[in-house]
Amino acid sequence: MTDQLFALLSTYGLPVLFVILAISSAGVPFPITLMLIATGSLVAQGEMGLWPVLIVCSAGAITGDQIGYGLGRWGGRKLVHRVTKRFGGADMVKRAEAFTKRRGGLAIFLSRWLVTPLGPWLNLTSGITGYPWPRFLFWDVTGEVLWVVIYVGLGNIFSDRVGALADLLGNLTWVIVGVIAAGILGWKLLQYFRSSGDSSAKTKISADAYSPATEG
Amino acid sequence: MRIRKIIQTLKGFSWRQWLVLCAFLFFIGFTGHHAFLFVRDAIYWQYHQDEQIQGWMPVGYVAHSYRVPPHVLYLALGLPHKPPDKRPLSEIAKAQNRSMEEVSAVLQDAIVHARPPYPPPPPPPPDNGGAP
Repeated sequence: MTDQLFALLSTYGLPVLFVILAISSAGVPFPITLMLIATGSLVAQGEMGLWPVLIVCSAGAITGDQIGYGLGRWGGRKLVHRVTKRFGGADMVKRAEAFTKRRGGLAIFLSRWLVTPLGPWLNLTSGITGYPWPRFLFWDVTGEVLWVVIYVGLGNIFSDRVGALADLLGNLTWVIVGVIAAGILGWKLLQYFRSSGDSSAKTKISADAYSPATEG
Repeated sequence: MRIRKIIQTLKGFSWRQWLVLCAFLFFIGFTGHHAFLFVRDAIYWQYHQDEQIQGWMPVGYVAHSYRVPPHVLYLALGLPHKPPDKRPLSEIAKAQNRSMEEVSAVLQDAIVHARPPYPPPPPPPPDNGGAP
């Protein structure tokens, strides 16, 4: 698929880049890291202008994110309402909505440029949980512009080692995603162990309270 | 004592807690795998200046990456250097009924002969409108 995407890019240029970024930001897994870095390299080789690339790539990514948010808001929200009406769990949805409103901004911002594989999911969940659109747009634009500047900039600086750089950054991103996921799950497990320790301690105290030694 | 406590807690786990534990172990393995790949790529990055030729690369990029004049590579592939062919190598290989390995070998050979100790390549041939 990578070869075909580059063939399209070489034939049609920036409009294709816009479409590819929009589709990938909406959730279709394209090798977008490689494409952005390669575009930075093309800028370094004088085959594309820096400003048009930055504007078109940012606009494409932001458009894709809005599509994902819209799908969550108008499709996903209705679906969740139907599911909770039938099977319950409305309180959990409300808690998720409250959490998203409180912490969503940072998560949206970080998922645009640091943990990019989570981006499409956060677009959908932001829409589903009814995260306010102007705030979503603000964090989205800030994060996507930063992402495009970083990746195109790196491609520009290391313009002769695009493939190696894409592999390096791809693995680094997955390491960050893995560390965050393992950290959250590890924290949850620690809570289980602590609560089970507390409950066993309480059981021990209550058992001691009724033991013959204390009665005496 | 501590291990016995952990085993006791694990025995009392519900299916949801087991799910969290399995996911935790999965992400530990996943992170370790990608950390290994990252370190391997970083070491490769440090010791290899030249990139491996791949199908998505256009001829111009290969020339840029290997620091050789582009016309040398176009000539090796039997392509006119003006206007520059921007197709990826896989497309060029398909159009020429060659395998990607063959195209890569042709380019490698041209690159080796365009670099020292070989004499520098001659200037690009005059533009003849793309005729062979």
